[in-house]
Amino acid sequence: MVALKQEKLLSTAEDVVKSALKKGAAEAEAYVVESCSTMVGIERGQIAKSSRVLDQGLGVRAVVNKTVGFSYTNMLDDKKALEEAVEKAVSAARASKPDKDWPGFPVKRSFPSVKGGFDKRIVELGSDDLVEIAGLVLDSAEATDKRVIPVEGGVSASYGYGAVANSNGVAGFDSGTVIDCGLATVGNDAGEVTPVCYELNTERSYDIDPEWVGREAARLAASSLKAKKVETKCMTVIFVQTALQELLGFTLINAVKADYVQRNQSALKGKIGERVASELVSVYDDGLLEGGLRTGKFDGEGVPHQRTPIIVKGVLRGFIYDNYTAEKEGKESTGNAARGGYWSTPSLEANNFHVVSGSKSNDALVGDVDEGLIVYLLQGAHSSNPASGDFSVVGAPAWKIEKGEVAYAVKGAMVSGNVFELLRNVSGLSDAERQVGALVSPWVRVENVKVIGK
Amino acid sequence: MKDVLSKVLDVASGKFGAEYVEARAQRLFRTMLTLKEGRVEAARQGTENGTALRVLVKGTWGFASVGSLDSKVLVEAVSDACKMAEAASSRLKTPIKLAETKSIEDKVTVKPRKDPLKVSIEDKIDTNMSLNRAIMSFDSHVKSCTIDYLDLTGTSYFMNSDGSYIEQGKLYVWARAVATAVEGDVLTFSREEIGSTLGYEVFDVQTPESVGKMVAERAVGQLKAKMPKGGTFPAVLTPNFVGVFVHEAFGHLAEADLTLSGSVLGDKLGKKVGSDVVTFYDDGTVKGAFGSYKYDDEGVPAQKTLLVKNGVVAGLMHNRETAQKFGAKPTGNARAEDFHVEPIIRMRNTFIEPRDHSLEEMFEGIKFGYYLKSFRGGQANLDGTFQVGVQEAYEIVNGEVGKPVRNASISGNTLETLLKVDAVGEDFELWPGRCGKGQTAFTCDGGAHTRVKEVLVGGSA
Repeated sequence: MVALKQEKLLSTAEDVVKSALKKGAAEAEAYVVESCSTMVGIERGQIAKSSRVLDQGLGVRAVVNKTVGFSYTNMLDDKKALEEAVEKAVSAARASKPDKDWPGFPVKRSFPSVKGGFDKRIVELGSDDLVEIAGLVLDSAEATDKRVIPVEGGVSASYGYGAVANSNGVAGFDSGTVIDCGLATVGNDAGEVTPVCYELNTERSYDIDPEWVGREAARLAASSLKAKKVETKCMTVIFVQTALQELLGFTLINAVKADYVQRNQSALKGKIGERVASELVSVYDDGLLEGGLRTGKFDGEGVPHQRTPIIVKGVLRGFIYDNYTAEKEGKESTGNAARGGYWSTPSLEANNFHVVSGSKSNDALVGDVDEGLIVYLLQGAHSSNPASGDFSVVGAPAWKIEKGEVAYAVKGAMVSGNVFELLRNVSGLSDAERQVGALVSPWVRVENVKVIGK
Repeated sequence: MKDVLSKVLDVASGKFGAEYVEARAQRLFRTMLTLKEGRVEAARQGTENGTALRVLVKGTWGFASVGSLDSKVLVEAVSDACKMAEAASSRLKTPIKLAETKSIEDKVTVKPRKDPLKVSIEDKIDTNMSLNRAIMSFDSHVKSCTIDYLDLTGTSYFMNSDGSYIEQGKLYVWARAVATAVEGDVLTFSREEIGSTLGYEVFDVQTPESVGKMVAERAVGQLKAKMPKGGTFPAVLTPNFVGVFVHEAFGHLAEADLTLSGSVLGDKLGKKVGSDVVTFYDDGTVKGAFGSYKYDDEGVPAQKTLLVKNGVVAGLMHNRETAQKFGAKPTGNARAEDFHVEPIIRMRNTFIEPRDHSLEEMFEGIKFGYYLKSFRGGQANLDGTFQVGVQEAYEIVNGEVGKPVRNASISGNTLETLLKVDAVGEDFELWPGRCGKGQTAFTCDGGAHTRVKEVLVGGSA
């Protein structure tokens, strides 16, 4: 099955490149994808829906006189539509303005081998299997606490195939599977409503724990009840991965993109070799991480994935690059050109953004804290200033830590500051890593964070 | 399309006994541009055809999406949807039912003065280059500018098993400019969006020069700003800011699917949740506004829906499923971003209704507070905690607008904060934006200048 897809997608991509060159492009690149995603959904306490989304498409970049044009179509089986897409890409290039810095498409480099990205068992899961898994999530949530409403969640199993080819001879094919189990819950008791709590388990292979998802999501919501407001003061804050991912995604991850740095949109510009974080902090962007959600052989331009040091023991070591930004500095792309879909051109994104774990358990990290907060999710992380790293968000759900113990749930607490100051004030990282979105990290404890409560 | 969809519906009802079927087939064409400091990264254009199929079998939803308009492919997809719904129905507790709606046959064509399909890529690039120029040339402190542009045209063919068949033209024109300014160690960030369902003529009104100047001025102005103090303060909100406040502090909670999920509005229908001057609408009929349309994605006509009147909760935003649960009428709020996803309840153009307070009066009596001029994102929560990010704001000192502040956001709890709205102005503006709820919806938010006695300001100074 995979072999057939490889044949079909690679040959489509290579044919499109040839066609673009014939139609007058000096260079061309084709990106072809096909995917299937099946989901069984929980809504307001019951399994209420099931869905299947089949998707496929082509994105072609054509270059004429150092001008890039792009076109896409999802009609992969329609020869005429493919031809039209090529023509539109070339005509878009002819209509647009040249870029004197256009370096050409990436050259051919050998691809790494990557483990753990494709599990046949996920492809073979049928409706009944997914209904059973969703049932396990729901049942264990309901068994945990009667005051909790399982609001929305379920399980989704996806598989996809992709090929990239360009006029420099790059030709790559990759396949992947992912299974995602999640549940959003709300605690509701005696007129009190908690903020939304959420747990998830996303894996590249069929190794999920649906009962854990349901149980944890319900436990979080139940323990968010009887929430109290906190005082406005500076205190220690432990960010759990779900909160950290939102915060870093809009600030630090943007700040290490070469595009942001080159264009004066990053506070880290000019700071390579300088200390930018506590020496407890090391961060790598790792496109090869075994079982990583963003792991693959190559990026959206066919450049091989790699492991790139970003911060090592607190010192800034590097940024992430795509081909365009790398060539601008006479460097090699780090394989970080991602595509939102076949309809988009590549743009810089983190692969698996790995904050390296420490040595204390989650509980021990909490045990050191005299007064602080533990924050699970944020509201408003997307309103942060990506250039300066300043943020002002609501931490919800969150709990107050007093004398090393989780004391009570907190409501309406805002957390404010600057992400670079946060990094410098990291006082501990736990030993338990997990992946949420692009972020792989442990719990992270930060000193002296401004909390606004009243 | 009508015959193809008819056949598909028949398979679902006839062969699988579906209680309800709907098909939404689309032909979509987009042109997109990204400019970075005036460099056109790539001029992009493309076509997609696809169909979304939704069925109700044994009271359970089944959904299938395929990138095709071909009847064989669609029949297979709808069969899939029915079989999956049947499999899921084994765990159903309460069968899903839909409120009745009139069956409608209609054809809606868009009538732009300037059709984006007829504007050349060269001209579109020129318009966006002017926007870039207006920003980059404003002041030497402005160091970068990213402009994104999109126009979407196409047709949606909707048919359901209640006898509706609606062919609806789609048209959206959207642009966003983001600028950063630098002075020493200080980096500021500002952005603005243009959005319309009228046509390319939106750029004659929201001209590149005027929008560009606004964005650049804001970025440069923030250079002199400081972080605000954290704490509780009175605030005056402009239409741009109050719009998002209404959206995040009330709008989401009044989307009936979230109300049913346990939002704090659950038991508040008919109850007072705000002060006497608080009247909110969600209106899908504002001509040319970014959140407007004639029929929603369940074939229900869009309306002007009253949410709160003089502080009392008057209504919610419904799709057919939630309307049935509440014994209410569907309000035309069911929207799907495109054929890849199913329709869910989304806002349209959400605003606070103007009253008669003058702006000067609003500032009087504020010894110390904040003038919140423009927003940068926001996020709601079911417990009523809202957050709205601030792009541009100023201190108010003894009734006068004072120094600028930056990088803050405000927060509060709906049930407390709406009672503290004590003045609403006479002006009215709607600002375009995009809302996320698992999929993107184009919306507008706005209203009149509004004063709130107390909001929590998340500053770290």
